[in-house]
Amino acid sequence: MPWMKRKAVPRTLIFGFGVVYASLGLSAQGGDAKLMALVSETCAACHGPDGNSVVPDFPILAGQQKSYLLREMLDYKEGRRHSDVMTPLMTPLGQEDMNKLADYFAAQKPAPGAVSKPELLALGKRIYLEGNTKSGVPSCDGCHEENGEGSKKFPRVAGQHVAYTLEQIAQYASGKRSNGVKVMRTIAERLTKEEAEAVAEYMASLK
Amino acid sequence: MKPTMLFWALTALAAAPALAVGPAQTLPVDAEMAAILAVKGDPVKGKDAYDICRGCHRPDASGKAEAGYPQLAGQHPQVIIKQMADVRAGRRDSHKMLDFIVEEVLPAEQIAHIAAYLHSLPVPTTNGKGDGRMLDLGKHLYDRDCAVCHGQHGEGNGEKFYPRVAGQHYNYLYRESRESRDKGRRNSNPEMVRVIRHYTDDDLKAVSDYMSRLAPPRP
Repeated sequence: MPWMKRKAVPRTLIFGFGVVYASLGLSAQGGDAKLMALVSETCAACHGPDGNSVVPDFPILAGQQKSYLLREMLDYKEGRRHSDVMTPLMTPLGQEDMNKLADYFAAQKPAPGAVSKPELLALGKRIYLEGNTKSGVPSCDGCHEENGEGSKKFPRVAGQHVAYTLEQIAQYASGKRSNGVKVMRTIAERLTKEEAEAVAEYMASLK
Repeated sequence: MKPTMLFWALTALAAAPALAVGPAQTLPVDAEMAAILAVKGDPVKGKDAYDICRGCHRPDASGKAEAGYPQLAGQHPQVIIKQMADVRAGRRDSHKMLDFIVEEVLPAEQIAHIAAYLHSLPVPTTNGKGDGRMLDLGKHLYDRDCAVCHGQHGEGNGEKFYPRVAGQHYNYLYRESRESRDKGRRNSNPEMVRVIRHYTDDDLKAVSDYMSRLAPPRP
């Protein structure tokens, strides 16, 4: 995983989020001090205090489907999804903590995603909405919906960082990521490198 | 007891009589297919389970004409169940679809629900059609050889696992009938293979075009 190559999250980044967190006055959100402490201590350094991560390797959680957030947290905790960072962070959490965190991030407003290669958007849109019938790639909108918002069963992909999406596709293809719905491995294997990049760019462009 | 085990336990008894007296004694109905056929399909559950299919067969189940992804809306539930069970069991090849309908993605009973949901959908009339130049030949062949099983209006017969062909995509009909004739489609009804074994490619094109334009009244 690319982000594993970095030894640690830069201290300045953590400090920066601390400042943002303080300035946003997030304790106003329902007044749940315990939840806000949890967000601050466990999540904010990488994912941002409101789930809008600014580091492309860390997924944006703001506006993500609650059911997906819950499933992933549990899968990290119970070893079905693998990350040397996430697993220890999730291990101490109980069901109620996870439930609150999922509610919190699902309720945050996602910031617009960043497109880095606009020339790929046309191909990405075609893959997203039509798939590739020659290689048997289904269109993404079938599960992730036309606007990328996802559903109770499938994650939101709209506005997600390109680097994160690409890393997940690579992990599905290699089998490193195998939790959740099993079809993503097949889809990731059938996508060409260019198609994967294009569809990740298109997802980032969705609002 | 895990839900899937419970499902099999409950359906084991139901499966036995279906195997013994079912309408498809000449067809290879295995335990799984019989078990799925014994489930009362729920269209509401089926709509939910169908989302895994939408990326290829589209939200309205109209399929994709050019790619030859079949139109599924309005198809007989028994036909959907048989074809999916055949693909799962390796009796029909669908390289593109198989990974999306294996048990760990789609538990067996969900197939019954999906089939019920698809049957409830209106049949689109925007399906892909042929070039329209051999429709007289197509009608002649269809009335002579096909209507006896697939129905005068292409309505098929669910009880006998004969698919509805009316309004199906031309590309799909032509490809599959060619595969049946040439014995690449291993789960074809042997009687059909016998009937069309001397068909030329033009005969198959003509009859496929004719079927794609049939539109039986909805019951």
